[in-house]
Formats: sequence, structure tokens, C-alpha cells
Amino acid sequence: MKSIIHIDLDSFFVSCERLLDNRLNGRPVLIGGTSDRGVVASCSYEARAFGIHSAMPMKMARQLCPEAVVIRGNSGTYSKFSDMVTDIVKEDSPLFEKSSIDEFYIDATGMDRFFGCYKWGQELRQRIIRETGLPISFALSTSKTVAKVGTGEAKPNNHREIPQGTEKPFLAPLSIKRIPMVGDQTYRLLRSMGVEKVKTVQEMPIELLERVMGKNGTSLWKKAQGIDNTPVEPWHERKSISIERTFENDTSDMVKLESIIRAMAENLAYQLRNGSRLTACVSVRIRYSDFQTHSRQLRIPYTASDHVLIDTAIALFRQLFDRRVLLRLVGVRFSHLVGGGEQMSLFDESGPLLQLYNAMDRMRNRFGQDAVKRAVAMGSKGIGHSGNPFDGQPVVIPAHRRA
Amino acid sequence: MKFIVSSQLLVRNLQSLFGVINPSNTLPILDNFLFSVGKDTLTVSASDLETSMTTTLQITSKDEGVVAIPARILLDLLKSFPDTPITFSVNTDTKAVRLTSEYGEYNVAGLKGEDFPKAPEVAGASSITVPSDVLARAIAKTVFATGNDDLRPVMSGVYFELKEDGLSFVATDAHKLVKYSCSDFKAEHGASFIMPKKPLNQLKNVLANEELDVTVTYNDTNASFSFGEVQLTCRLIEGRYPNYEAVIPKENPNVLTINRQAFLGSVKRVSYFSNKTTHQVKLKIAGSELQVSAEDPDFSNNADERLTCSFKGNDMTIGFNSRFLVEMLANLDTDEVILEMSEPNRAGILTPAESPIESEHVLMLVMPVMIND
Repeated sequence: MKSIIHIDLDSFFVSCERLLDNRLNGRPVLIGGTSDRGVVASCSYEARAFGIHSAMPMKMARQLCPEAVVIRGNSGTYSKFSDMVTDIVKEDSPLFEKSSIDEFYIDATGMDRFFGCYKWGQELRQRIIRETGLPISFALSTSKTVAKVGTGEAKPNNHREIPQGTEKPFLAPLSIKRIPMVGDQTYRLLRSMGVEKVKTVQEMPIELLERVMGKNGTSLWKKAQGIDNTPVEPWHERKSISIERTFENDTSDMVKLESIIRAMAENLAYQLRNGSRLTACVSVRIRYSDFQTHSRQLRIPYTASDHVLIDTAIALFRQLFDRRVLLRLVGVRFSHLVGGGEQMSLFDESGPLLQLYNAMDRMRNRFGQDAVKRAVAMGSKGIGHSGNPFDGQPVVIPAHRRA
Repeated sequence: MKFIVSSQLLVRNLQSLFGVINPSNTLPILDNFLFSVGKDTLTVSASDLETSMTTTLQITSKDEGVVAIPARILLDLLKSFPDTPITFSVNTDTKAVRLTSEYGEYNVAGLKGEDFPKAPEVAGASSITVPSDVLARAIAKTVFATGNDDLRPVMSGVYFELKEDGLSFVATDAHKLVKYSCSDFKAEHGASFIMPKKPLNQLKNVLANEELDVTVTYNDTNASFSFGEVQLTCRLIEGRYPNYEAVIPKENPNVLTINRQAFLGSVKRVSYFSNKTTHQVKLKIAGSELQVSAEDPDFSNNADERLTCSFKGNDMTIGFNSRFLVEMLANLDTDEVILEMSEPNRAGILTPAESPIESEHVLMLVMPVMIND
């Protein structure tokens, strides 16, 4: 039987801000987009008392708690704190998975030689608190699902063990919403079936759930029983890279929209080359102001060249944007990624162009991602980021943009 | 209508025609062979609308007429016979076909031969005569390098360039290019056209065992190849062939001479360890040593081989798609090959070190892949 520990940094972004500015201690703090379109990415426990939760529109949160301190947040700072925790976990644990910026799974199987995994986990937690000053919670159980639910129950700043054999009774009285795979939609579906507690799911026949939800039903039923064999994966292979942007004000200004698409494709191509990757599928996504969302994709020969990727993205965008309605969001995604260098072509300038892109990449690596770019994309600052997205780390969602 | 023909003779001729027929057709009659019977002659045709092929054989018949007979079932049946005379009797009204062998009787529904699409006449044409072995060799040397991109149809064919000082055949898929020239045969008037891949493969198969003169007749839209009793007519690919002469690098200071089999073997073995999508291998040349290496970090695979070679120029590292190298090296037939290069982002030129046939000249170009060190 496995011993899985799930650790979670409590209201991580707020904790980081509090380390930087102790005047925030004991006050309701909101972190997220500060514009009207923004959402709450993280909020302190004091703010939660006002009924605020993460992913709530910032406008609504401010109405609920006008005295809260609102901070736009800086994902660079949070990544640094997160890396400090990662270093400690890496040093102490035999096998771990960083599943997001503030969450880890540790496979502690075999660490129970002397005083047990639970004791070991507590020591690890104390060490993280001592060395970083960040509050942290963890739970120990036999699977990732139960450990994660356990951490949710242990919070804030505490720990919990769900020993083998007690997973089912532990889950039984909880709301179905606590199971990690149950989002808004599934929750609504299950509630419409009269299911509220995990206990009801545990007692349902598996076939019934399968009929309603298909494959997900089987997996949900198993999770409700505390059965989850997914291993702790130390490496996240990126299957795609993407950039999206929601506008402050909806727009249909083609010049602006196309310059943003170009900037996105250019930055993603730079990220591809930095990770020695090629893409074979470009997709573009748009959301109209009435929330209708459309996307379109195109398979292309493997490439990491700006000129091919930008032209493809622009062509897709022009095909896609066919309603006379303002847009609130555009995004570009590259998928079907593969490692390797680009095949040059005899009949275009791909050889010299690739040399040019490499030179531009070197300038960006040295002086920052905005050091050199196409003139048309100059107006769209702060799109994308530098660095290698293929380092096996989970995707970092910027603090002010978590949706 | 009635005629008698030897099963072996018919099978041999039908098999070479069968390659023309597409596995699935929108026009049902294209699944058939067209049999045109004259006095003691039988002309069989197959077509896919782009290409049509016709062959004539001697039979015993008194009647005349045309009928279309389902190709697959007829060929399967005939293949299973030892050499035996087959009698075809066609009901001229219903087009029902009855085949009689010494074993029994088989009935199949034929179609009206008049509905079979006619091969286009190559009108206002020029022509040139080439021995079959030369043509077969030219096709074999080039057709593998053609592309499959529907967006660039001109690259899916072989470019025939007939000039007063010789013939050349060019194929490219934008990543690699092969030019096969032959100075023994000269055209009276300069001309050029793009032949689609399918009829060329068909020709290559049929010409393999023949020693005949092939008469090539061509105009702006069609070309026709006649040899012996066979005639193959096809529609040409329209469009302008890319200016390939301009992409052949002129200055190539780095010249590698190496044993072909050794190089091919190395690239093959190393390529098994390369990425399964990009097939990328790295050639590192320093002094008189060539290092061939590949890696696939996703599976922790890597391979590394060293070969001795003779090299003139500056030490360099260059990446290639191993599949291109393997195809090209396997297609050459000399002991030694020469690889001329200039920069890691410019085309490499692969040529045989000596020519097995005096008058022929083979030039292969391959574009490298970008390698990040």
C-alpha cells in the first residue's frame, strides 16, 4: 500500500505578500486582477469570512468587503517563494510531483521505517515553515485523491492522517464538491440527481454513474470509494503552449487584434525554440462579448519559424472572426509538440531566417523578452513570457489572470 | 461476340495494366478493363481518367466488338489457372460475359464498352525516342524524391527537361532534390513538362523487364509513352516548376568523400535512436573523422558512431533528416560518394564519386535541419 502526502500552501499568494509586508497580517487581503474584469486569484481567511472565494469577480468581492486590501500580485515573486519550497521538498522526499505553484504530492512509501510517514511529514512541514515562513497544510493517505481531500479538511495551517482502511468513512460525510474532479458542471448534474454527500455516490451502483457520465462516472465512483491508482509523476510533459488575453474593454479594432495575435504567435514561437521544440498544430480561440467562444485549428508541417506560425495564426483568426460583435478574448495555442530542429526548405529563405530568429532569441534571453520584436507587435506589451516552458514544471498561471 | 485467349498471356498483360486502376472509383466503369476485339487482335485498356494504358495481344477471334469486364474478379480468376485456353462469349445485347475453361464456366456482368472514357489524343505533339533501360533508370533515380504536398502539386511529379544537349529529370519535395541528366540523347527542340508520379511508377514496373525503344510523345497537356504493344497516355501536371538551378549552392568549400555502404549503414543504425517524428541525426566532421549521432531524450535513447573519411575544408557540425540521407544513399550505386557542404544552414550536395555510366550525371541536394548546440 502506498503512502501519499499532499501538501498545500495556505492562501499562498496572500502568505507571500504578508512576508513582504507584515502590515497585511490580520487584515482581509484580495489578490487578483484589479480591473473590473479581474477575478480573485487568492484571498486571506479574513476575507473568506465575508463570503469571498477565489475565482469570484473582483468587483463583487470589493462590494462584499470594501475595506479589503487589493493587490494585483506579482507571479515572479510567488514563483520564487514556490521554488524555495520546491527545493526543500526535493531535498527531503524520495519522489514528488509539483502539481501547481502551491501544491505538491509526495510518494512517501518506504519512509515509515522508524517513526512512520506521518511523523516524517510533520517534520517536513515544520522545516518548510521554519525556513520559508509560509503556512502550510498536509494530509497523508493511501492515494492522491484522498490525500488532497484530506488537506482541504485539515486547512488552515494544520495536518491530518487518513490511515488505510478509513478512506471510505472519511470521505462519506463530505460534500461531493470536495472530490477533485467535481467541477461546477458535474456538481450541478449530481445535485440534480439528488446526490449531495459522497456517501450517496459510494452506495450507488457503478453502472448508474457510468450511464450518466460515461468514463468519468467510473472514475468518479472509484475516487468516491477512495480508490485512485494514479502515480506521483515527477515530470509534467507539456502537450501544448498557449497565450490568452482578455481585454479591459471589448474591441473589434482589427489593427489592434491582429497585432496582439502576431505578438502572441511570435512569443510562443520564441518559447518553442527556447525549448528546442517544433509544433504541428496552430489553434486560435476567440470569445465574443456575449461569451460565445469559437476556436479553429490547422495542422501544418513541423516548424518553429515565426513567419509560418504568425501567418497561420492570422489566417485562422481572419476565418474565425466573422460576427459583427465585439471580442473580449483572443488566444493562440501551439500543440502536437515534438523535440528537434527545424527542417529547412530549398525554395524559401528558411536557412537565413532561422539564423535571424536565433540571433533574436539570444537578444531576448539576454535583455528580456521585449528586447526585440516585430514593429507591428510593439504596441502589445507584456504578452507572453521568456524562459523555457519545457522544464517539467507545472504551468504557472499569472496571479492577476487566474480565471 | 466470342474469342479465345491463353490465360497466361492474358494475365501477364492484365497485371501490368491493373496498376493504373484506382482502388476506389467514383465512376464505376473505371473498375473495369476495356476489351476491344478486332480480327485476331485484342486491345485491353485501363484508366483512372488521369492515366490510361493500353496493350494489344494476338488472339483467335472472328467477331469484333467492345465490352468492359470487371477487373478484380477477372484477374483473380485468371491468376488461379495454369496455362489454359479461355473462351470469352459476350452477349452483345445484355453484355453478360461467359468465360469457359476446361474446368468449368463463369458468368460475370459486363458493361457497355462505349461508355469507357477514351484516352486523350496527344495532338500537335513532339516526340523523342529513348531506350527503355535509360528511361527506367531515370525514373528509378528520381521518383522517390517527389513530394506529397497537395498544396504544391508541381512537386508531386518529375520534371522532364528535354534539351538539345541532353535530357534531365528533376524531382524535389522542397527538402531534397534529385537531378538525373543523361547526355547521350538529345531533343530536337527544347521542351519541358511535369509528369505525375503514378504513371511513372507504372512505367518503371513495366519497363523493368523490357529492352525496347520507348517513344515519348508530348504536347502542353498530355504525354504518351509507346513501346512494343503498350501505350500509356497521361495528363501532365500544370504549373511552373520551381527554379531549381538557383538553389544549387555554387561555393562548397567543405568536401567529404566516404564509402557509401559504410555511411549508409551508420546513418541507418543511428537513426533508430533518433526522434521518431523528426528523424534528426547530427554529422560532426573533424579532420578525417565523421561522427554520426542521434538522440531522443523522451525515451533516453542515443547513439553515436565514428567513421573514417577524407575531408577537405573546415570542421563542421550539421544536422539532417536521416530518412532523406538513407533514401538518397540507398538510391546511389557507387562505392564512394561525395558530400559537399558550405554552411550548416545551406543545402548539402551528394554525388557519386565516379559515374558507373559515362554519360549520366546524378546530383542530389538535401537541406539540413537546424541544430541547437
